[in-house]
Amino acid sequence: MASLGDLERTVMDVLWAADGPVAAAELRDALADRELALTTVHTVLSRLEAKGFVEHDEARPRRFRPRATREQHAAELMHEVLGASADRQAVLARFVGGVDPEEARLLRALLDGTAPGAAR
Amino acid sequence: MLPATAAALAVLAALLAWPVPALLGRARWPRRDPLVALVCWQAIGLAGGLSIIGALLVHGLAPWGHSLPEAGWAVLRGHPAVDPVRGDHWVTLTLAAVLAAELLGVLALSWARTARTRRRHRELLELVVRPSPAAPDARLLEHPAPVAFCIPGARPLLVLSSGMVAELDDDQLAAVVAHERAHLAEHHHLYLLPFVAWEAALPVLPAAARAHAAVRELVEMRADDRALASLRGPDPRRTLAQAIVVAAGGAGGGVPSGALSVAGGALGARVLRLVDPPAPLPAAARAAALLCAGLLLLVPTVLLLLPAL
Repeated sequence: MASLGDLERTVMDVLWAADGPVAAAELRDALADRELALTTVHTVLSRLEAKGFVEHDEARPRRFRPRATREQHAAELMHEVLGASADRQAVLARFVGGVDPEEARLLRALLDGTAPGAAR
Repeated sequence: MLPATAAALAVLAALLAWPVPALLGRARWPRRDPLVALVCWQAIGLAGGLSIIGALLVHGLAPWGHSLPEAGWAVLRGHPAVDPVRGDHWVTLTLAAVLAAELLGVLALSWARTARTRRRHRELLELVVRPSPAAPDARLLEHPAPVAFCIPGARPLLVLSSGMVAELDDDQLAAVVAHERAHLAEHHHLYLLPFVAWEAALPVLPAAARAHAAVRELVEMRADDRALASLRGPDPRRTLAQAIVVAAGGAGGGVPSGALSVAGGALGARVLRLVDPPAPLPAAARAAALLCAGLLLLVPTVLLLLPAL
């Protein structure tokens, strides 16, 4: 049994791969191996629309298209992660916060200065 | 009247508002045992709130009884005050209510805001990430900047960027994943939450910002320690230090430097601590620090509950 999150990702993959807007029935056919009901496809699409990932046009039947490319979503996320200032560290725990080039150079010097053999 | 109790609580609040955090912030021993230091910081934060709100309450409720529980009960039952109620009693009662409401309000607000941002991040991530070949519980995000992070919560997510995977060797990558897993396993985001609230509620108090910064640094050191315990390889300390330096060096490209406010000093301390480990804290010192933390919580609690001196 596929989770909704998994279905959402699959639907987005189809929309991203498509040349233009896609109708729900076309989506169902594109995912024929999953044997989805049309209502399920509609549920997934309205969830994606509520999250702001897809939009529809006014044609009949309605056709759906992604609001941004996968790369744009990744870039948006990374922009937030990289810009995560001190107070945003509470949102996510980042392995290493950003440092300026001079600090990065000092860190490297610090590590090289204690090369194995030099220490102990 | 409870003048001695209120005065004692006010003195304790003043100590916890400045000298105690300043001392602990400057001390060298916390990096030798981050977990014990984290316990001490939590005790300082909690005891600080207890003693300042308690001092105001005890003074304000003095006309109603000889101890805080007694006076509080008398007010709740609608009994008249035993002694005359002056203006300063109302002022301190109002201050206590405002401060308590602000602290709890900010705590709730930052909890809600954090949860909302995390949900948004998780929604975005679920669309754009792929399972990572490096670790079964990690996801891979296509992006050249070397970044690793985790989103805590009921369904935690551990994310590595493709840039991170490209720049690190397998051992270093395992060290990064172990570090982030340690954050998730020990729920480090909860350690930070009260200090986010303190800083937002009392931005004029330098100790609040100092405490927040210290706790953030200690949480990273603690995660480093926990990661080391699970790592194999000839020199896991050096592997982890190398991973930190690589991640720090590559993140500069394309990011406005104004956004990068994390102190390199803290990062340097982390690296130094890995390559040149300080001796662990002796058991007696550990016990003493934990005892101090316990007393710090016990003293205001006892002062609040016991009859007036």
